[in-house]
Amino acid sequence: MFKYFAAYRKEWLILIRDPAGLVLLFLMPMVMVVILSMVQEFGWSTISREPQVPVLFVNTDQDSVGNKFQQGLTEAKIFTLISQLDSVPVTREVARQKVLEGEYQIAVVIPERTSERIRAKIRLLVNKTMTSLMMPDQNFLAGVTNTDSVEVIIYFDPAVRNSFRNAFLSSTREFNSKIESRMIFETFQDELRKLFPGFNMPVIDYEPSVYFKEIFPSGVEEEILPSTTQHNVPSWAIFAMFFIVVPLTSSIIKEREEGSLIRLMTIPVTYMTIFMAKVGVYLFVCFIQFLLMVLAGIYVLPLFNMPPLEVGANYLAIAIMTIVSSLAALGYGILLGTLSKTHQQAAAFGSVSIVVLAAMGGLWVPVYLMGSFMRHLATFSPLNWAHAGFLDIFLRGSSLMDVFPEIIKLLSFFAVTITIAAIYRTLKPPIST
Amino acid sequence: MTEESIIGIRDLTKYYKGADEPAIDHISLGIFKDEIFGFLGPNGAGKTTTISILCGLFPPTKGKVTIDGLDIRLNHEKIKHIIGIVPQEVALYHTLTGLENLQFFGNMYGLKGKALKERIGEYLVRFGLEKFARKQVSTYSGGMKRRVNLIAGLLHKPRILFLDEPTVGIDVQSRNVILEFLHELQETGTTIIYTSHYMEEAEKLCNRVAIIDQGKIIAIGNPKELVALNPEFKNLETMFLHLTGKGLRD
Ligand SMILES: Nc1ncnc2c1ncn2[C@@H]1O[C@H](COP(=O)(O)OP(=O)(O)OP(=O)(O)O)[C@@H](O)[C@H]1O
Ligand SMILES: [Mg+2]
Repeated sequence: MFKYFAAYRKEWLILIRDPAGLVLLFLMPMVMVVILSMVQEFGWSTISREPQVPVLFVNTDQDSVGNKFQQGLTEAKIFTLISQLDSVPVTREVARQKVLEGEYQIAVVIPERTSERIRAKIRLLVNKTMTSLMMPDQNFLAGVTNTDSVEVIIYFDPAVRNSFRNAFLSSTREFNSKIESRMIFETFQDELRKLFPGFNMPVIDYEPSVYFKEIFPSGVEEEILPSTTQHNVPSWAIFAMFFIVVPLTSSIIKEREEGSLIRLMTIPVTYMTIFMAKVGVYLFVCFIQFLLMVLAGIYVLPLFNMPPLEVGANYLAIAIMTIVSSLAALGYGILLGTLSKTHQQAAAFGSVSIVVLAAMGGLWVPVYLMGSFMRHLATFSPLNWAHAGFLDIFLRGSSLMDVFPEIIKLLSFFAVTITIAAIYRTLKPPIST
Repeated sequence: MTEESIIGIRDLTKYYKGADEPAIDHISLGIFKDEIFGFLGPNGAGKTTTISILCGLFPPTKGKVTIDGLDIRLNHEKIKHIIGIVPQEVALYHTLTGLENLQFFGNMYGLKGKALKERIGEYLVRFGLEKFARKQVSTYSGGMKRRVNLIAGLLHKPRILFLDEPTVGIDVQSRNVILEFLHELQETGTTIIYTSHYMEEAEKLCNRVAIIDQGKIIAIGNPKELVALNPEFKNLETMFLHLTGKGLRD
């Protein structure tokens, strides 16, 4: 234990000998969180606020469905519908071509006779219902079905962001169901009028009875609607936290290059002691880094008109999650530093692998939007475990027990990586032989 | 000096990875307790390789080393406590001060507190470094770095001390201090294994020397006796040049 503290002291002295480096170590992640959150926030605003997304609209239906669609998209106030190019009506083929070339991001095609076909389908449905209602014994229409479904075609530029595509699809789906229910209702009215010519149904403006209210449940009393901040800050903070591998590997390789490690090989002290001393010092660094990033999320982001980060109230869980996430990052750094031959190797592989693990772990594109293979892959990324743990605590108000699986996974990752590093170093001396 | 081997070297051979020629080639010898033993040889002779294996830094390709009767591969941890090493290359933390380096390495040997402080202070004065103790090693001259490097290896008063070219790049004044110091250590019961290519220095300092070239021992014995045995050579250096040839080495 005495040797551990002596090694800790040495590591600490080396770290503070470079005050400029230390300041950068603390400031850079903070700056990164603020800037990148801003980029994402304002990137998102373009979609949700500016009514300037051009959409090619091909209405070959020219009947109620096509017209309602047109009306709906226009009323959504996000899109500018374009039906003519150089005063020539856009055809389906032209629309496809323009999107393919990337000139337009979205094209919507309402095929011919769409309204007619929907109406036919509805009429059949209504007739069937009425018949069984009036003449239960003469169920002659029972066998008649109409599975002729109608396709509204939407072309997306492959470069369109996922979030944008989802926003578009969900809004079209919404008013599509409105249109359809309205048509069903009208057809019923028509049929009823035919049966009871005297009957005058009041004109009812049908509004859907089922609305979807988006609620994001959390264990905390009031429900927090997750803002972009809520998603972005933890992602970037974990990403930045794992970048500790760069200074850490550099410290390990420098110790080797300066020859001190060779001297240590002839001294009665284990590599584990030396490694753990580094972990101790850098854990402190990670903790402060994370604290600063969270504080930036809470106090700096609102200065830029962004919602502040809400961290819930479970400070103990946050602290423990921070420690175990840092340990995972540090174990990875120790292993990389031990395995890499040069600073260049370590820095290049270290940073690229963290970007990969972050992307893979769903830090930037939520895991639920990924394909099943990627979703499976995500569960192997330590950044994913850390991210999941923090989101649970911040958004769902989870307790320490709820994030226990993540804690165990992160701790195991640390134990495994640092043990492999120590064994490797013991078996293979830090000089070429 | 008792004629009892504290280090036994048998049939030691080392091929570095991918090398066709051995760096050391079937070396066998014994080093006696409390003697100063010198490995002399031109560049690339295999001095550093030999010392590294003796300290247990890496295993030989073939052969066996015992220290104090213990096989070094099997008892490395035990042996670490009784040996000290001063590597050829300066092995220090460059952003720490000389004092901090010495404190750290002393601590790693389990030394602490006042005893350690006093010993470091004593050595710093002895090697003329007390004024620089609180400056970062990166600001030291080459000779100063080498002196701190030396102290770091003997702070714990090892019974066996390995020094790989400890006097290279050091001025005459400091060199004399070091040689005098090594003599004193020997008197207090330290076995010293040392490498050099300064023949004159070795002649004065060593009880015995082994002249190695291309990984092989080509002469071994007391330097004065070696010269006496070959009266055609005035001193160790002319004999050395004769034995190893005048061509340049890698
Ligand atoms: N790490 C290594 N990998 C491969 N070959 C090596 C390595 N270290 C030394 N050698 C080779 O082994 C031979 C002996 O080298 P060694 O360093 O033991 O010589 P030396 O006597 O200490 O030389 P010097 O006086 O220059 O320090 C040389 O031919 C050298 O090229
Ligand atoms: Mg050498």
